[in-house]
Amino acid sequence: MTEGRAGLRLRVLAGLVVFMFATLTTRLWFLQVLAAEDNRRQASNNATQLLPVPAPRGRILDANGDVLVGSRQSLQITVNRQAAGDQLEEVVFRLSKLFGVSARSLGRSLDDPRYYSFSPIPVAIDVSPRIVYYIEEHHDLFPGVGLLKAPVRTYPQGTLAAHVLGYLGQISPEKLKDPSFADYQPGDIVGVSGVESVYEHDLRGTHGYVNYRVNSLGENLGILGTVAPVPGNDVQLTINDSVQRLAEDSLKAGIVHARQVFDTSSGRNLRANAGAVIVMNPKTGGIEAMASYPSYRPAAFTHGISTQAFNRRFGAQNGYPLLNRAIQGQYPPGSTYKPWIALSALARGLVTPSQSYPCPSTYQVPEDPTHHVFNNWTTANLGFMSIARALSVSCDTIFYPMGYDYWRIYYPPPNADGIAGNDSQPPKEPLQHDLGAAGFGRVTNVDLPFEKAGRVPDAAWKAAIHKLYPKSFPFGDWVPGDFVNMSIGQGDTLVTPLQLAQAFSALENNGRMCTPHVLARVLAPGGKVLRRSPSRCGKKLPFSQADITYVRNALAQVPISGTAALAFRGFPFSQVWVAGKTGTAQVYNRQDFSWFAAMTSANGQEHVVVCLVEQGGHGSTTAAPIVRHVIEGLYGLPSTEYGTVAGTD
Amino acid sequence: MDLVATKTYPSERRPIRHLDPVLLFAVFVLAVVGLFMVYSATHQSLSAVGLDPGTFLKKQVTFVALGSVMVLLAASFDYRFLKVYAGLIYAASLVLLVLVRSPLGTSVKGSQRWFQLFGFQFAPSEIAKLALIIMLATFLSELRSGDLTLQEVYRATAIAAVPGVLVFLQPDLGTSIVLVTILVGVLVVAGARARYLGILALTAVVLILGAFQMGLVRDYQVNRLTSFLDPQNDPLRSGYNRKQAEIAIGSGGLFGVGYLQGTQTNLDFVPEQHTDFIFTVVGEEFGFAGAFTLLVLFGVLIWRAFRIALLSKDPFGTYVAAGIGSYLAIQVFVNIGMTLGIMPITGIPLPFVSYGGSALLTNSAAVGLLLNIHMRRLK
Repeated sequence: MTEGRAGLRLRVLAGLVVFMFATLTTRLWFLQVLAAEDNRRQASNNATQLLPVPAPRGRILDANGDVLVGSRQSLQITVNRQAAGDQLEEVVFRLSKLFGVSARSLGRSLDDPRYYSFSPIPVAIDVSPRIVYYIEEHHDLFPGVGLLKAPVRTYPQGTLAAHVLGYLGQISPEKLKDPSFADYQPGDIVGVSGVESVYEHDLRGTHGYVNYRVNSLGENLGILGTVAPVPGNDVQLTINDSVQRLAEDSLKAGIVHARQVFDTSSGRNLRANAGAVIVMNPKTGGIEAMASYPSYRPAAFTHGISTQAFNRRFGAQNGYPLLNRAIQGQYPPGSTYKPWIALSALARGLVTPSQSYPCPSTYQVPEDPTHHVFNNWTTANLGFMSIARALSVSCDTIFYPMGYDYWRIYYPPPNADGIAGNDSQPPKEPLQHDLGAAGFGRVTNVDLPFEKAGRVPDAAWKAAIHKLYPKSFPFGDWVPGDFVNMSIGQGDTLVTPLQLAQAFSALENNGRMCTPHVLARVLAPGGKVLRRSPSRCGKKLPFSQADITYVRNALAQVPISGTAALAFRGFPFSQVWVAGKTGTAQVYNRQDFSWFAAMTSANGQEHVVVCLVEQGGHGSTTAAPIVRHVIEGLYGLPSTEYGTVAGTD
Repeated sequence: MDLVATKTYPSERRPIRHLDPVLLFAVFVLAVVGLFMVYSATHQSLSAVGLDPGTFLKKQVTFVALGSVMVLLAASFDYRFLKVYAGLIYAASLVLLVLVRSPLGTSVKGSQRWFQLFGFQFAPSEIAKLALIIMLATFLSELRSGDLTLQEVYRATAIAAVPGVLVFLQPDLGTSIVLVTILVGVLVVAGARARYLGILALTAVVLILGAFQMGLVRDYQVNRLTSFLDPQNDPLRSGYNRKQAEIAIGSGGLFGVGYLQGTQTNLDFVPEQHTDFIFTVVGEEFGFAGAFTLLVLFGVLIWRAFRIALLSKDPFGTYVAAGIGSYLAIQVFVNIGMTLGIMPITGIPLPFVSYGGSALLTNSAAVGLLLNIHMRRLK
């Protein structure tokens, strides 16, 4: 057959073929040249799987470099569901026999939706070598079961400073949304409380990665490359482990002793269920010890903990041991508040150092139609005395009139009802202002999480809380009695032990306020100092130097001839200067809460020591002997046995 | 018409001196490329399960050797003898297509397409392609010259329809498409008017719709078609295959990632990669340069087929060569088009490159026939 019609038709056919090939070429060009980058990226995503390798977490050291929290490698057993394949059920059954746990709970941990089907899921941590050898020897019985070395926390000093150190746990969904946690994955372990939480980003280090080659089934075909993890930095604290131990031991011994003390007002022994001790350097705000009782074992969180176990161990029947009462407990300060009432009243000219004031057993607010009687802590009439003496013997009836004066002089003229303030004229509240300047009613900004702010009540607060909770707060109007209560640290006033420690530090530090802190410095793994805690002292108390010195000297009489004289009987004041203030806070439905706040100085070494014991009775009974014990330890003095001290404020 | 096979040729007209070297070269290169690609696609998964990574390569080498013999066989006799046996060959292919659906045939992945023979799989649908070409060429070459009548077009269609339906029922959509293309290709060259072809197309559309309506189309075929039209519809099944194939080819870029370096290839992301999706290996490892070169080789192959159709000394040779050209062209287009995501996924192998004996032997026979026609173009 020659050229002709068939030739023409063949050309038509060939034209069709050319068209088809042109189509293919165009598409090839599109895929391989125009979309090449995108496809290449997808191919590489397909073929590799990045598995993070946790970095060893930095240590937490005390002021001397002693290890408070360390890190060690632990052996974990993991199960890769995909590698176990259809033998998964048998594998889980055998592992449950081996670990002595139910197959159901093991299966539950494997159903964790946070893991991919091809990623190994830890099912047991710190397994015994016996189990490891068994699994290694019978590898055919355990397909998909692997060993993983992962860093876990160690606590060489046990429970010491547990509340300051904090503990670790899985990252919460809220934190995952936080931009500063952008590089965290669900299931990551983070500091949940304490220093572990606040200095999380210093301690954590940087994850390393293992880049695995995977096939279309997600099976691991070998390692393409690794990026070594960068260990976290060490965090050195101002906490001194021997002072911390001293504070914890003193607190515990004092509490144990208090439980032997009969409380006449409740007709039974003191419960002394909880307490806190703070030792602070007044010059820097560095916290040397922070104890909270009851405490907990941070190692309890190493292996994870179920919600039920958490609630059982850390709930009400164990006295909420996770609560750091030094910064989260809010208590009426009682008479420990009086130095600031006195300073404010002196500054405002309500009282003068030169005058004497009567100290009867009771006080009534003038013109009070209800004739409410405010009692002194003792039924004896102590006669006339100076403000200094009123502080050292803690005379309530000298402070009550000061409270009333804040109403009488500064509060706006009353309305027709005779009680409520004039709404058109906002109340001037100089007492609240002065207390705020001393750090009350606001957080100290200590570098520990979940700090509470305490409360300095005022008219606006009282009206607001009444509107919010009319049942619990049946009165919304600010009345003279509110000031009277406030003058002795009662009523709606609340402070945290740390606020009191900060305020007493300012008193010891010539009126200079320091922000309390636990961080001393951040160290690189080699020991190089990366960062020091910034000095945050400077704000001055709004009181004159003369008044501060007057009050400080007055408080020096408390352990000598005042309310803490019995507790400090035989103390070598010639060697160690001590000033302090007792407090006995009344709490509805509870035994009295025992307070003592002290400033000490010797050999150029200054400390502020604050102690609170819930239901510890009078300040002189429980808290003052504990503080004495701490002070004796701080200065290497022979320690005094806890003895029964009569209740004075 | 000269049917004497024992005719003696003058030495300068001896057929062996008139081989088509260009055609042979293209086929040879394609087969060698195929060997490399089959090894690349299979060595990793084979060694992963502890087998000799060359298992598939060695089998394919055997097929290529057998294919070379097949080329020689198909070129050695005067092709016009086929006209005599056309009916027999056609009937035999139909019998095999029926038998493969009996228990004698083997079912793989939901379709019954193969005979298991001496450890090799053998697909009668491959033979059906050549048988149809020969039968159609014989039928059409015996008609008077001039344009085909509608009745002749229908008779030719009937000849194609019998194996077409049998193959479709296996079910093997891909081969059905090839058989239809052969019919159309041969009819065009034989002089069917465009109008008649239009009528034919209309009938086909009606029949296809009818097949869907009567539930003759299997679910997976519908799935493949719908996932072709909407790849998001079924991302983990047929759509997944398409997507992975596109990623493999696209990630090759201009010059490819290098032989045996393709991650999509080595890590089993592309399914059926040594058979239907072999082109993705070329695309990933040799890039646009390699893929386009392969297209050029196929272009040469098809060009030579059409050229031989043109040079043939008789209409039978023309029709056979045109049929073979059409069948190679549609296989290349549908296969590569499917890996590029512009054609639905059908089980059509890439001629000479895909792993598989039946297809390679059939294609070799086709090339042998082309050479046969070319060698004997001079009377």
